[in-house]
Amino acid sequence: MTEQSFLSVRGIRKSFGPVKVLHGVDLDLPRGSVTALLGENGAGKSTFVRILAGDHQPDAGTIAIEGVETSFRTVVQSRDAGIRLIAQEIADAPTLSVAENIALGALPSRFGFVDRHAMREVARKALDALGADIAVDAPVSSLRLGERQIIEIARATAGASQCLIFDEPTAALSDAETRRLFTLIKRMQEAGVAILYITHRLDEVFAIADRVCVLRDGKVSLNAAIAEVDQAQVVTAMVGHAVASDHYRYEFVSKGADPLLEVAQLGSEHFEDVDLTVEPGEIVGLYGKIGSGVPEFAAALFGAGQFDSGTLRLGGEAVKFGHPAEAIAKGIGYLPADRASEGLLRTRTVAENLAAPSWTRLANGPFVAPGIEANTFKKWHSVLKVRSRPDGSEQISTLSGGNQQKVLLGRWLEAGSKLLVLVEPTRGVDVGARQEIYAVLRDLAQQGHGILIASSDYEDITEAATSAAVMVRGRVVAHLTQDQISTERLTQAAGGGAHA
Amino acid sequence: MPEQAPTTMSNIDAGRVTSRAGRRLKAPEWGALLLFLLAEIVFFSFNSPYFLTWPNGVNIVTALSITGILAAGGTILLIAGQFDLSVGSGTAFVALSFALAAQSLGIIPAVGIALLVGVGIGVLNGFLVTVVGVNALITTLGTLAIFRGLTLSIGGASSVRVTGFDWAIARPFFDIPMSAIVFLLIALVVAVVLSRTIFGRTIYAIGANENAARLVGIRTKRTLFFAFVISGLCMAATGLVSASQLGSTSGTTGVGLELAVVTAIILGGTSLKGGTGSMFGTILGLLIVGVLNNGMTLMNINSTWQQVAAGMLLILAVSFDQIRQRFIRS
Repeated sequence: MTEQSFLSVRGIRKSFGPVKVLHGVDLDLPRGSVTALLGENGAGKSTFVRILAGDHQPDAGTIAIEGVETSFRTVVQSRDAGIRLIAQEIADAPTLSVAENIALGALPSRFGFVDRHAMREVARKALDALGADIAVDAPVSSLRLGERQIIEIARATAGASQCLIFDEPTAALSDAETRRLFTLIKRMQEAGVAILYITHRLDEVFAIADRVCVLRDGKVSLNAAIAEVDQAQVVTAMVGHAVASDHYRYEFVSKGADPLLEVAQLGSEHFEDVDLTVEPGEIVGLYGKIGSGVPEFAAALFGAGQFDSGTLRLGGEAVKFGHPAEAIAKGIGYLPADRASEGLLRTRTVAENLAAPSWTRLANGPFVAPGIEANTFKKWHSVLKVRSRPDGSEQISTLSGGNQQKVLLGRWLEAGSKLLVLVEPTRGVDVGARQEIYAVLRDLAQQGHGILIASSDYEDITEAATSAAVMVRGRVVAHLTQDQISTERLTQAAGGGAHA
Repeated sequence: MPEQAPTTMSNIDAGRVTSRAGRRLKAPEWGALLLFLLAEIVFFSFNSPYFLTWPNGVNIVTALSITGILAAGGTILLIAGQFDLSVGSGTAFVALSFALAAQSLGIIPAVGIALLVGVGIGVLNGFLVTVVGVNALITTLGTLAIFRGLTLSIGGASSVRVTGFDWAIARPFFDIPMSAIVFLLIALVVAVVLSRTIFGRTIYAIGANENAARLVGIRTKRTLFFAFVISGLCMAATGLVSASQLGSTSGTTGVGLELAVVTAIILGGTSLKGGTGSMFGTILGLLIVGVLNNGMTLMNINSTWQQVAAGMLLILAVSFDQIRQRFIRS
């Protein structure tokens, strides 16, 4: 199968200081094929593709383009060989226009001056190919995240590329944008481009890939044609053991208890007329893609955002919070969507991150006794299965995404919050840790917590929720009971109104 | 980039690497500062027989007491990711207000006025930064100019005499003057506040991530406002110390103090981005500069060269840190 490969790598090794990230990776990317690259966080995927893109240099191993051994010392050399990486982090120039961003690095010029006409033409063509309706003269800073991701893709696909590497391209895209991206990938594939596609989502793998390669601990643990494997095999290759996906169901039966949260006719510029209740022991899933208003609604419950109309009742009492501190005092805990910018106190320890909302209670007057945060953390370390030191004395930024998320969840358990509002609780969390988080949520519900999961990832809803609502463009378009919750129902409801 | 979760492989890998190496280098990082200070001390002891004596040690601490008091407030602010450049002109304005009030109202009411003026400057800075939302660098660059200008125009060209207010040069214990004792007390209080109180925790949290701090229920603006007021209180203290030490005050009192303060804090390991640092580090930073100046004076090196040395020291220390981090990463 390897004789016609466009790109072929053998025995790639890479270490960062004492940490070995890749120990001998082999991979072939044939022309006209889509290879899915999977692996948990920390498996070495991003390091590997950065080596292909010339961003990192391997310590050992060879890279061959059409059988000719080569080496990329810079990003430019890799690009000249026809390889383009669409990185996960958006690296655009926000103050420049869409056209300038797409042409970045390959500006068409005449007599040494930028040929603005040609530049806009190139940009328009690249965007048309993606079916994206974005004005080429708009400054990139005025676009939303998903559109900026499309600009990144357009930049890579505008040139004549031989090999495209996508690093989780759909994380910020809507359903419709994702479908158009898949169409483009298929077209590129038919044109003979070799494609490497990194993702966390198994459904995407089986939708577009014809080969699958799994990295675990810096080694290839599975490399096969897609027809030869099933989902369970891929997951096993990723985590190293079979993951119990018995879909353990936590059944919630209303005991007629007073609801913790009652929302009636809540409205703001991002959502309107939202009705919702959460009873103790209930896990309500609120599903919505980008632009649905789901995260804004969740933020408004916590006083981190606003609502203009309607009523919000907590334990029967009508409330409106001006600051998250007021919501916390009323027993609400909140997990924000973006861990990095809204959740983590990066320079501080794990224990301090967990104790933060509870400082006033843990302290003795104004004084925080030495060691009290470590002792507090010890209580939750095993309950939440956080892989850290038992006293949580390391910086939070050294933990993996899933463990960070457990610590941020632990914050509200220590704070004694009865109602948990969790936005994108498993974003950037790998397969194994996901299941652990779902298990914790079920336990919490069993103990009488009320949980609201606000997510654009249907797996959060199908795995954990005991009832669900779907929002489209700020409105609830469907309410589902536990028996009605399924991937199909959710995506159907979310897609139905959005593009009608 | 800002909207993206931090969970890309490379970030995590880099994080693991720096932390693992960081653990090993944590102690030497402090050690590096201590070592440098010791090297200075050894060097100057060989060059001047007078250097390693008790009176000279007292001199060193006394000479940095004004910078040190301001650096105590400045450390709180910089850990929270904020600046106060108005500390030098604020000191001068407090001293002038005190001197003028003392002439007409007497010492005790004048001390009250000095405290009010200092707090007032802090309130103004805090209001502009947290309520109006002007960047702290710009706000305090503006108030730096305003209070320097006010001091010069109200006080005139000549200095204003202060009489009957020489407490700061009194030496009650071990020949240590009151100015140094005030500095050491304030430094101790700030060290305890930063490491042992809820307020200190919230300062670090805000510096680490202001958004996240708000979402764990911290009243971030209120806290920052209060931090600026603390800086104003420090200006009140230094205005009073300065007036007492010199027995007068003038338009040039405290010129350039803001740079000395920021130099010491950054030299002491507080990151410009906030979220890290400590009062102990700042004290090391102060001592490194203070010992250097003192030693050079003893070696009869012109004070203008001392400025060159302090500037080079700052750049060297920060470059060294950058290079070290790059070394750990690769």
